[in-house]
Amino acid sequence: MSDYELDELVVAALAREFPDDTVAFNGAVSFVPVCALMLARATHSPNLVWVAGSIAVDPQPTEIPESTLVSTLWDGATMLQSSVADFWAYAQSGRLNSFCFRGAQMDAHGNVNNTVIGAYDEPKIRLPGGGGMADLGCLVPRIYLWSTTHDTRTFVERLDFRSGLGWGDGGDHRERLGLSGGPVACVTNLAVLDFHPESRRMRLRSVHPGVSVEDVVAATGFELVIEGDVPETPAPSAEEVQLIRTLDPTGARRREFAAAR
Amino acid sequence: MPAHEDKRVGLADAAALVPAGSTLALGGLSLNCSPMAFCRELVRAGVRDLELVAVVNGMGTDWLVGGGCVRRLLMGLTSFEGFGLAPNFRRAAQTKAIEVEEWSEHTLICALQAATAGVPYMPTRAGLGTDMLALHPHRTWEVVDERSGQRFVACGALQPDVAVVHVHEADRRGNARMHPKLVWFDTELVKAAKTVIVTAERIVETDSFRAAPEATAFPSFAVDHVVEAPRGAWPTACWPEYGYDGDFYRAYQQAARDRDAFAAFFAEHVGPLATGAPA
Repeated sequence: MSDYELDELVVAALAREFPDDTVAFNGAVSFVPVCALMLARATHSPNLVWVAGSIAVDPQPTEIPESTLVSTLWDGATMLQSSVADFWAYAQSGRLNSFCFRGAQMDAHGNVNNTVIGAYDEPKIRLPGGGGMADLGCLVPRIYLWSTTHDTRTFVERLDFRSGLGWGDGGDHRERLGLSGGPVACVTNLAVLDFHPESRRMRLRSVHPGVSVEDVVAATGFELVIEGDVPETPAPSAEEVQLIRTLDPTGARRREFAAAR
Repeated sequence: MPAHEDKRVGLADAAALVPAGSTLALGGLSLNCSPMAFCRELVRAGVRDLELVAVVNGMGTDWLVGGGCVRRLLMGLTSFEGFGLAPNFRRAAQTKAIEVEEWSEHTLICALQAATAGVPYMPTRAGLGTDMLALHPHRTWEVVDERSGQRFVACGALQPDVAVVHVHEADRRGNARMHPKLVWFDTELVKAAKTVIVTAERIVETDSFRAAPEATAFPSFAVDHVVEAPRGAWPTACWPEYGYDGDFYRAYQQAARDRDAFAAFFAEHVGPLATGAPA
């Protein structure tokens, strides 16, 4: 039917979200964003700067390893930031403007949980923790969310724990906290979503080929904003597919899909 | 001229500098350059009741938790990344064998910086609006600045009793360096801690530091003890000299599927597995 895989569609859709003035960095276990940032840089956003794992500035790696915080990603960098505190200074000042989040749970306002399933003191599942989520959700003006498990267990009405701030309680909550920007988009294995400019609730922007609006609604544990006819997510071009397979020759991006439940 | 102080100690003597109940901060970042030989020594020494500060860590935390050394963990992230979740950490958290105090990367750094500066807290916008603050209101709290009206998070000063970091080279006086100079969060730990222990791949002469002073990461006066520990970061990476040992991470996770097998595996590679800790 098609000449691309779902993981390539998701990578391409996320890549299209990154404008040319993006200065982004990736966190742990961020195979899809790393791939998407490299793709965006190789296509429509040549000036995009990607800082690998808060260490390596504008690297040119030849493959993506088991971790997105290790040296394999640093090849060809223009700078290795010696201290992570230097990186945090740029994140606080706004020079670094973009970050990608994924969580075990997400809510309608793009807040994310990667801490526990169940009560914090009686966790059913102890997750790895928020890492820099609690920080970057506040400091970085452009937050991109992604998920390879778009279902009602991931997209929930109420988080068990708010590890990272998206649009908070919605509306002007971020402004009231004195924070700029917020989540821009959420790219999943089913759809591309953004946020209603006033309510800051997740809005269905496009559905992937072969996925219906009803499918997405059924897989989402909160009410989505749906306005008019929802278009189909454009398929990745042959060039994009070829680039993805060149930039990520070992298919590290598929690690996230293999874990899909 | 009298001889300079020689700060070299053996691994066992260095481990003895971390008594039960200490607040211990571990260097490294995720799969990079944790002081793993030191962690193993603590497990073998049977240290108990540590308050462990591990900002972004995985295997080091998992060894100390598996060894029953940890009472409370202050962390941003505990993960093996593409190799999965840290099994001892996960089980201990779910069975409440340890107390997990979740922070975030930047708030922990701010708390260390406050201790370094000798001020009660460091302000930041990080963490606003999250559930993390309420987990430890005695250490992080929201404040409104009187002049600007701006809201911020106060990160209460956190001073580790001991910080342990791993480097490529040190001299006997305590000068320490990495090639290239990648120091993760280690700088913040070294600056804040009461006692600083450096484990090094090898000990070199002070003259080699004089020959390339721009490469020095930590000055002698910031380091209290130096331990020679070849391959001391294994199985984490000590780039570019060696990478993380993916085979070990996979074998560890494979063994962790079975309680008895894991106890044997852990005993062989680390030390005695504490009761209740196996995955």
